[in-house]
Amino acid sequence: MNKQYSRRNLDFMLKEVLQVAELTKFSYFQDYTPDMFDMVLDTAEEIADKILRNAYVSSDRNQPQLINGQVKVHPAVKDYVKAMGDAGMIAATFDYENGGQQLPTVVNAASEMIRGSANNAFVMFTGLTAGSANLIFSFGSDELKEKYAQRMVTGEWTGSMCLTEPQAGSSLSDVITTAFPQSDGTFKIKGQKVFISAGDHDIADNIIHLVLARIEGAPLGTKGISLFVVPKFRANANGTEFNVDNDVISTGIYHKMGQKATPAMHLTFGDKDNSIGYLVGEANKGLSYMFQMMNEARLGVGMGGTYIASAAYYASLEYAKERPQGRKLNNKNLEEEQTYIINHPDVKRMLLFQKAVVEGSLALLLECYHWQDMIHALGKTSEEAKPYQLMLDLMTTVAKTYPAEMGIKAVNEGLQVLGGYGYTEDFPLEQMARDVRIMSIYEGTTGIHSLNLLGRGVTLNNGKAPQLLFNEIMKSIELANTFDELKPYAEKLEKELGRLQKVTMHLLSIAAKGDNEAFLADANLYMEFFGITTVAWIWLKQAIVAKQALITQSLEESETSFYESKIHTMKFFYHYELIKNYALATRLTDNTLLTVDSEKLGVFQ
Amino acid sequence: MKILVCVTSVPDTTAKISFTDGDTKFNKAGVTYITGPYDDYALSRAVELKEQHGGTVTVLNVGEADAEPVIRKCLAIGADDAIRVNCEATDSYFVATQIANIAAQEKYDLILMGRESIDFNSGVVHGLVAELLGIPSLSPVMKLDIEGSTAKITREIEGGKENLEASLPLVLGCQEPIAEWKIPNMRGIMTARTKPLKVIEPVGEGLTSTDKYELPAPKGACKMILAENAEELITLLKTEAKVL
Ligand SMILES: Cc1cc2nc3c(=O)[nH]c(=O)nc-3n(C[C@H](O)[C@H](O)[C@H](O)COP(=O)(O)OP(=O)(O)OC[C@H]3O[C@@H](n4cnc5c(N)ncnc54)[C@H](O)[C@@H]3O)c2cc1C
Repeated sequence: MNKQYSRRNLDFMLKEVLQVAELTKFSYFQDYTPDMFDMVLDTAEEIADKILRNAYVSSDRNQPQLINGQVKVHPAVKDYVKAMGDAGMIAATFDYENGGQQLPTVVNAASEMIRGSANNAFVMFTGLTAGSANLIFSFGSDELKEKYAQRMVTGEWTGSMCLTEPQAGSSLSDVITTAFPQSDGTFKIKGQKVFISAGDHDIADNIIHLVLARIEGAPLGTKGISLFVVPKFRANANGTEFNVDNDVISTGIYHKMGQKATPAMHLTFGDKDNSIGYLVGEANKGLSYMFQMMNEARLGVGMGGTYIASAAYYASLEYAKERPQGRKLNNKNLEEEQTYIINHPDVKRMLLFQKAVVEGSLALLLECYHWQDMIHALGKTSEEAKPYQLMLDLMTTVAKTYPAEMGIKAVNEGLQVLGGYGYTEDFPLEQMARDVRIMSIYEGTTGIHSLNLLGRGVTLNNGKAPQLLFNEIMKSIELANTFDELKPYAEKLEKELGRLQKVTMHLLSIAAKGDNEAFLADANLYMEFFGITTVAWIWLKQAIVAKQALITQSLEESETSFYESKIHTMKFFYHYELIKNYALATRLTDNTLLTVDSEKLGVFQ
Repeated sequence: MKILVCVTSVPDTTAKISFTDGDTKFNKAGVTYITGPYDDYALSRAVELKEQHGGTVTVLNVGEADAEPVIRKCLAIGADDAIRVNCEATDSYFVATQIANIAAQEKYDLILMGRESIDFNSGVVHGLVAELLGIPSLSPVMKLDIEGSTAKITREIEGGKENLEASLPLVLGCQEPIAEWKIPNMRGIMTARTKPLKVIEPVGEGLTSTDKYELPAPKGACKMILAENAEELITLLKTEAKVL
């Protein structure tokens, strides 16, 4: 298989746009030099080349099997987790004291781009393990850290996140899995969890489940949810070995549309009244702990939409350059050989759309990761870190949703480029189209994130968060205004920013009247509007850096065309995507509430 | 055991090759540099031997400062320290002189390098170094084990393999499958920075200078001729390709 991501683009983002070398001036990152970041990406490339890419198709065709209560996964999953553990890359971003290497998250995300574009399903195993270990390190006791988390960061054991229950998907306040306090301070866990990714497998000796449950008698709703460590095998009486079956039963395995190599499990805890859980942090704070961790996971899902779309873009690009079909629109001469499909404007449009989505989404995500790193660099509780924290809180939901939703569309266009062949198993596009579909569902559906953005994000800290973001956008606009070629685009963006503010004010005025249903009915469209506008900004930001390089450096041909292609794609985004804001704004300021009223009128017959 | 591994920093195999200064200089702009693939095998085996027998692995590069990322990568993979002889690697004899000069001061049990570099591909440096030091050299080595002061070696020869034994110290030119390439890990990457990298000045001067580089003629376009038109092929071979 050929190229699935652009290392040149990753370098452009890290070195030129975000200038990650600057991070090494802060004491938190002082042990790094910029060439070490290159080495991390080289390592990711080796893991992708040697293990991930080769197993992408075969692990889709040979799905995990649940046999006698035990799940068997594709053998290469084990190789991958081991390679990541050996390389110290599972928890590379963690603090030194937690077995990490304090790697900037933005570099880690670039490494994920490389690995995920080669095999998105395998990457889930290490992502979930890192996420659950991070929860223990952040909120757990020293004993939990030592006993469990330390063995997860090396890949010896893996982790899973157990939130969802049959009656509690989007609505986690309805979790009913129960924890019964025991006299020794532990808890007996009883309940069902569904869709638990990597919830069972045969690649590690133990699986550490992080389970949301309600301590018997706890208050209703989110305020009564606690977090527990529930291992698949717990320690024996003298604590020497983890070989006691902890009554976590693999009741079923879901047969999914995509990401088939990652088993999604239905788990039953405490069927024999013998599933012991250990409380993480304080009682009743479980959901807030989980949400802190979920912010990272959400950016990870955005990355998922991006790297699958990247793999699809390069696969369809390669095909378009090799498939002769038809003649150019201005050429009627049938004697002449057929032209390659890349020469048809509509195919070019599909390719440009994919490129705009992939590189725009990536840039938005890396911006967020960079804010995360600035928070680390400046100190989590410091005043200087606050603006970054606020912008990150606001944008996480957008940086999850835009790449997820648009990634699905981009892969779909990639498949379309291949025509009928795209629909067959002879090419990877159909698998990518299946794989990417999950991104708008897990870690909170698009619907839920949209409610979050409009209902909470834009008013965060009295609207301080969007204000900070708009200031950043204005800085780019001012800079872009100094280049003749970019000026018209800076002007367009400024206009759209004004439109976004107007629409937001309009919606908030509805909220002020107390009608939440009317206020939030089209939150999904607001999210789309917000996503398009911020990705337009991030494209302008890239174009500025490209323009500066073109003006100030004497460049080789390939470099010139790299930068020119950045500017061209930015223009494409503005002429083909940003204009959608007009329609969205029209809808969002139109008070005819057809969806709210539809029930009453009996529309759905 | 003390092992010296000599590594080259070479253009990535997919790099576009061009020249500047009236075709006398290689154009480095935009080219990614990698560790010479055969040198990478040598380094991997050296790290494995160190793990088995203890000792140290020193990496040596004869080259300019832009080779340092490659040297750091070797340190990240497991070498203990590094030396860079600060000069342009003009010709094989000059490079061999630098290596021999260092090796003569430090008594290494093994001097490993790739069977050849992949930029100039001369494949003679190991032999020259051994000659300058007055010790044996073997190449291309596909298998290497050490027992006491004896090296057990498998060498590729025309149409087969040769198994031999030789006493240390030795100079060996290595190739696959002597070891599997190693992936640097995070800890290695982090510690590489603090491992010593000594820069020393060269001895003597290069014996050659480059008059002019030339690229091979571009590959001609492929012409498809239907099987039934064999006559046409012959005509083309005669008139266009002028090989008949
Ligand atoms: C492959 C896969 C892997 C998963 N991995 C995990 C895992 O590892 N751990 C884990 O805990 N969970 C996991 N999940 C579960 C996933 O997070 C949930 O499926 C998701 O949160 C949605 O919940 P649900 O399926 O119950 O859908 P529902 O909540 O029933 O939602 C159905 C639809 O209704 C909409 N909706 C629901 N409530 C509202 C509302 N209040 N306002 C507006 N719209 C609403 C949703 O947007 C959605 O479109 C996984 C799911 C899948 C499919």
